[in-house]
Amino acid sequence: MSEKSFDDIFSAFEEISNNYKRENQYFDILYDSESSVIITKTRTSENIIANAKKTGIVARTFTGTWKETTTTDFADIKKITKKLPKVSNMGKDLIEFEGWSLNKEIKPKINPLGVPIDEKVQKIRDIYDYASKFDERIINAQVRYMERFTERIFFNNEGCQLRQVIPRSILYIIPIAKEGSIADYDYYVDSGEIGFEIFDKINNKKLDEICQKSLDMLKAELPPSGKYPVILDPSMTGVVAHESFGHGLEADQVIRERSYLKHHLNKKVASDICTICDSPAIEHPVGSYFFDDEGIKAGKNVLVENGVLKNFIYDRRTASILNATPQGNGRRESFAHPIHPRMTNTYFEPGDYTLDEMIKEIKYGVLLIHSYFGMEDPLGGAMQNTAKKGYLIENGEKTKVLKAVTLSGRVLEVLPKIDAISNDPTKFGGGTCGKGSEDHIPVGDGGSYTRIKEALVSPG
Amino acid sequence: MIYEEIDLIEKSLKAKNLEEYEIYLVKKEIYETMFLKSEPEIEREIEDFEYFIRTLTQKGDKTGIGVLKGNSLDLKDLEKNIDTCILISKSNLSSIYHFPEEKSIPKITTADNVLIKDPIGSKNDLCEELISEVKEQREVVPTFGRLRLHIKNNYLRNSNGVNLNSTKTFFYLEFSLKAQEQGKLSEYWNVEYINEKEHFDFKNRVANWAKLARDTLKAEPPIPNNDAIVIFPPNVLREAIIPVIGFHTLGQAFSEKLSAYNINDEVVSEEITIIDDGLLKGGLSSNPWDGEGNPHQKTEVIKKGIFQNRLFDQKYALLEEKESTGNGIRGVSGSVINGVSNFQILPGIVSLSDMISDIKEGYYIEKFSWLNPEMLSGFFGAEIRHGYYIKDGEFQNPLKLGNVSGNILEMMKNCIAISKEVEFSENACFPYMAFSNLNVSS
Repeated sequence: MSEKSFDDIFSAFEEISNNYKRENQYFDILYDSESSVIITKTRTSENIIANAKKTGIVARTFTGTWKETTTTDFADIKKITKKLPKVSNMGKDLIEFEGWSLNKEIKPKINPLGVPIDEKVQKIRDIYDYASKFDERIINAQVRYMERFTERIFFNNEGCQLRQVIPRSILYIIPIAKEGSIADYDYYVDSGEIGFEIFDKINNKKLDEICQKSLDMLKAELPPSGKYPVILDPSMTGVVAHESFGHGLEADQVIRERSYLKHHLNKKVASDICTICDSPAIEHPVGSYFFDDEGIKAGKNVLVENGVLKNFIYDRRTASILNATPQGNGRRESFAHPIHPRMTNTYFEPGDYTLDEMIKEIKYGVLLIHSYFGMEDPLGGAMQNTAKKGYLIENGEKTKVLKAVTLSGRVLEVLPKIDAISNDPTKFGGGTCGKGSEDHIPVGDGGSYTRIKEALVSPG
Repeated sequence: MIYEEIDLIEKSLKAKNLEEYEIYLVKKEIYETMFLKSEPEIEREIEDFEYFIRTLTQKGDKTGIGVLKGNSLDLKDLEKNIDTCILISKSNLSSIYHFPEEKSIPKITTADNVLIKDPIGSKNDLCEELISEVKEQREVVPTFGRLRLHIKNNYLRNSNGVNLNSTKTFFYLEFSLKAQEQGKLSEYWNVEYINEKEHFDFKNRVANWAKLARDTLKAEPPIPNNDAIVIFPPNVLREAIIPVIGFHTLGQAFSEKLSAYNINDEVVSEEITIIDDGLLKGGLSSNPWDGEGNPHQKTEVIKKGIFQNRLFDQKYALLEEKESTGNGIRGVSGSVINGVSNFQILPGIVSLSDMISDIKEGYYIEKFSWLNPEMLSGFFGAEIRHGYYIKDGEFQNPLKLGNVSGNILEMMKNCIAISKEVEFSENACFPYMAFSNLNVSS
């Protein structure tokens, strides 16, 4: 699609929207544009890929069910009115919200668009060269940098005229170590709604630390299997928040009668010290924005407060059915993907312990470090969370380094066993989240260190 | 119409006097019904269009490769995009690379013309069939589902005269059936891509989902065992084998010093033969040509346990002075990635029922939460979503929760049985296989 000014886009959207009166039916239209640069370097490859503003438009209307259509050609935009039906008197099927206007761009400290491509590539090469020369046992390294700008322009027949531009950057450094037949790695990742300043944290001392952690994995042992006291680092705390009271609270699962938490609203679901929130309105984590893909303003949603379930996560449709207030969780991966109620930045609030105190009180347990991946079980009520590595805790001390560790179990059995959360400020990590295995969106999650009295762990 | 678009891009590339360029153009149509319980909730008709341009700048024994993704055909935007691509190719320093030359391309059918002629009607017929079977099931109810038809047209043209097109049709099916008894809840949540309409077999498929949902109501965590025999079905084996064994067979893994496999080494049990076949009828990744225009082919990767051939895309073939095996996969960002096409494991001689009968004590795992093994080391540990405990050759109680862990590279050396039945699961055509020495925790 050729580039258009947002005034042109608003004007065209308004013309189409005028075909659908709000009292008859809800209608919205979204312009989605993404540009990115991805640079990856390994031992034998260097890839530089530019996405030069791939754009598309998606429009939909609610007539008892949703009808949705897209185009990638601005000249074809009028065909939307032929694809989406016009009806009468169905406007009340969806709660009406007051229209609002916004035109806002997040400005990164160092705008990547102002940095020449050669400078970006050289940064990646320097990191790669340093890591690969650190020790002869570092046989390879993968360095990956991605900068992305997402522009979304939203218009609906409630009077919303919204535009936002969100920059997101991510940096991975993965030195791969090998000795004999053992090959393993640890990794560094940083992400956020930031720009080229993502490299500010990288210096030789930091790279030494990253490489040494990969070398340490060569001595890593398999973790024990069974139920033990465990401590989660902030990234694992975040992924547990995400898989436990994130996915299980997405309100589409409630109207599907597929949420194990449907009947637990205002009931105790976790220990008293657990407060879990979801918010797209925090500065910097990758799951933040000003409005969602349905034009709802970003707000904070307290999901679990002092162990009591307080809220679900809503989009327009589920908020209408369940008579709730949405906080901006209706999200789509791109114009070609559907909207679902989704998480944004999901996190545990800090507690009052220190990590040292938590470790000292454990005779034999496992510390899980670096979230790797997780999976939800919206109806079964279980969760699986895997950490890239761990440490054995013996007699109140962190001892051996461990290979990947999987933590699993029933959410309503595991989270009531949380007996300590550290007083460190909430630390956010970021990645992408699928609804099942589809529709990947950027999300943040985080927390501080969290201790569970007993949970099932095994090699991961 | 599509050739006008390619011609337009090529004209802009030629205006820059580029010697080596490639245009890869993708047009997608998607037709989807999303269900709330058994009723349609969202109807989606999606059109998507994008192109990838690659340009090369030769620098002695190195090549600079520029990769650009876009979808604007406005001449000014095109010129700007091509300039960006050239700039990238000047900054980039890759191993020597040239685009493939024109070669003989096999003829296979990858699209169903009935679906192309009437996509909405065909999709709606399948939806009706699906819901009709769902309504036949006892003691289970649907919670949600998605049935989606993809029609994907790919066009590739490069400066060496390669000029190819292909059309592919395939489906996505996600559906959940719930069982409920005395306050207990369970579900079977099916998620998969399906290559051919005939593979749906709704009657058996939906009945199996319903059985798994009902059985899981009675599920228990497994009895721990650190030397367990476990049977995996084709869908689990796909998630286990392709990311790990597939990775270690790639030319890229070898060049990057990451492959654990050497040619002629015994790498898996001698009963196992694995073939990569980009032309396999029914395979989700089947296409006449790969992501950079080399012909797809059938390559014997492991024969009776012995590693025979690595899988190469153009880049790693040039680097290792070999021929491409047609294993260049076009990634969503536009770059070409060395990867497997369809993996096939040759069937064994025992039936699945005999395989189960031969096990004194073991486990059958139908589905994990998410297996996701670590491709380099092969380690995995995943929570059981659906399974059965086997005692004295028979299924006993269903299983849920608890973890199975092990190492895929080692597990494949401990295969104790391969079924004669094989099934498609996306880009795999695998039998059922039993392995010893796995760890089950609870």
